[in-house]
Amino acid sequence: MKAFIALVHREYIEHRGAFFIAPLILVGVVFVLTLLAFSVHRIDSRFSGQLLTVVPTWVFVAGFAGLATGWMVYLGFTLFFYCADGFAADKRNNAMLFWKSMPVSDLKVLTSKLVAALTVLPGSIFAVALLSILIMFGVAYVTTMIAGLGSVTLLGSIALIFAQMALVFLVVLACALLWYLPYMALVGAMATAVGRWAIPLAVLLPTILSVLEWVTLGGLHPFATATWRFLDYRSQFPVSFDYLERVWDGTEQFDAGTFLADFLGKFDWTQVGFGALFAIAAIVLAAEYRKRGAIT
Amino acid sequence: MSEPSTALEPIVSARGLRKSFGRKPILHGLDFDIPPGRIYGLVGHNGAGKTTTLNAMLGLTSYEGTIRVLGEDPFARRAHLMENVAFISDVASLPRFLRVRELFALLTNIHPNFSQEKARQFLEGTDIRPEMKIKALSKGMMAQLHLAVVMAIDAKLLVLDEPTLGLDITYRKRFYRRLLEDYMTEERTLIITTHQVDEIEFMLSDIMFIRDGELILHMQMETVSEKFSQLVANEPEAQEAARALGPVYEETRFGQTVFIFDGVPRETLEPLGKVSTPTLSDLFVALMQRPTANPESAR
Repeated sequence: MKAFIALVHREYIEHRGAFFIAPLILVGVVFVLTLLAFSVHRIDSRFSGQLLTVVPTWVFVAGFAGLATGWMVYLGFTLFFYCADGFAADKRNNAMLFWKSMPVSDLKVLTSKLVAALTVLPGSIFAVALLSILIMFGVAYVTTMIAGLGSVTLLGSIALIFAQMALVFLVVLACALLWYLPYMALVGAMATAVGRWAIPLAVLLPTILSVLEWVTLGGLHPFATATWRFLDYRSQFPVSFDYLERVWDGTEQFDAGTFLADFLGKFDWTQVGFGALFAIAAIVLAAEYRKRGAIT
Repeated sequence: MSEPSTALEPIVSARGLRKSFGRKPILHGLDFDIPPGRIYGLVGHNGAGKTTTLNAMLGLTSYEGTIRVLGEDPFARRAHLMENVAFISDVASLPRFLRVRELFALLTNIHPNFSQEKARQFLEGTDIRPEMKIKALSKGMMAQLHLAVVMAIDAKLLVLDEPTLGLDITYRKRFYRRLLEDYMTEERTLIITTHQVDEIEFMLSDIMFIRDGELILHMQMETVSEKFSQLVANEPEAQEAARALGPVYEETRFGQTVFIFDGVPRETLEPLGKVSTPTLSDLFVALMQRPTANPESAR
């Protein structure tokens, strides 16, 4: 277990640029720009501070949700490129020879890469995301103070919103990672075999499968197939929007417990199970390939 | 009845070792045993099958036939085997994104037989510092670091495949001296392949020549000096007499004719000119040019 944790840590060290340093720099730049905008009066702090107190709950919830969604999109891109590149990174500079001289199996190495993609790497972005949201809330609260409307009650409700939304963010992030696990494993397995060609192949493969089905079994057009419908369903994160729409309309106040109960209840756990089995199979096959042929 | 396990049980044992890439056969059924405590030189031309043989030993490639390293099938049990086997196939293969201290910390957690303390000791007196990024090291420094890493692993078998490729003479000499002085013990076995045969000749206890996937020479260095002789003959009569004794190789250098003999007593050769033991590189050139030169197929 110690060796496995060390391998996961090694993934973090190798890829901390994309998963920690770059997001942190991004947050720093945005924060500095915000301060700059306030300092030269591009943003009226009194006016914005007053606005924030009109519907404080909604504004902070929506702000959190918006920024968290942005970070999720960033995470999606970085994880995709991590899987396409990180699984093949050991071939660079003959490093495979070094890793093969270590008493760790190819399966353990590849599993550590996938586990890193599910834990420390998104965890790192999650931490930076919370920091960025905290800064955003901080700036917002300071503007309300400048407007003379800051209060302990408002601060308390902001803190409560932050805690609730952080919990929601964590659960949604974990579910998203489980939902897209088979895609990550597939791209990683392809990268083990073909390196960065996995990037175009990730797009090409579903298209080929769908066209093959259309050619062999027929259909209206190449993308009106069962394969495409399944992949389309499997590509979209199954979020229940009913409750969120009521919050968005302002007819209901956001409650993390209610949202999570609705979200987790409607989540397609069967597909998550099948996806996990698929991911295991993909990694085992990739490890076998790496064991047999991928020395350099 | 199987033989009782003794301290001299071979570290590596190969029987009928074959390997093909596509339709091209690379190894043609090698048979050999490598006993513990020896320093082996595996020498051959480019493409002769040296690296493929080592890769088979290290579990890096599949093969036909049987090979056992420390009693285990290396391809099936590579990860387990690497607890007691260390190898360098390319000194530039260390993961470049790590700092030296991160590499040591990683190895401490991954390798049960790695000693961080020893590795740091081996780096004393060099310009390598723990905070340095590996990608910032020169090739010579990287070789020093890689050697420090493998020497800090308490392994029974160390395999070095062209370890000093691309290094200048100073680093090469220092590399081998360090290896011999600080690492080799009676319990450890070392296998080296290199093109600079003369540089390692002083440290070898055994030699293996491989040509076109076949082992054409496998013997102890003492036996090499007993079995092979080099004669430098100047007079035409002496040269004719030498030719009559069936040299395995003949070459004219600076007006002198050099013969290499296999199994001809030195007393027979001494009246014909100056007799000495051929250097490994001379013997290599001589044997590699023979159509069949398999004086000892396997021991």
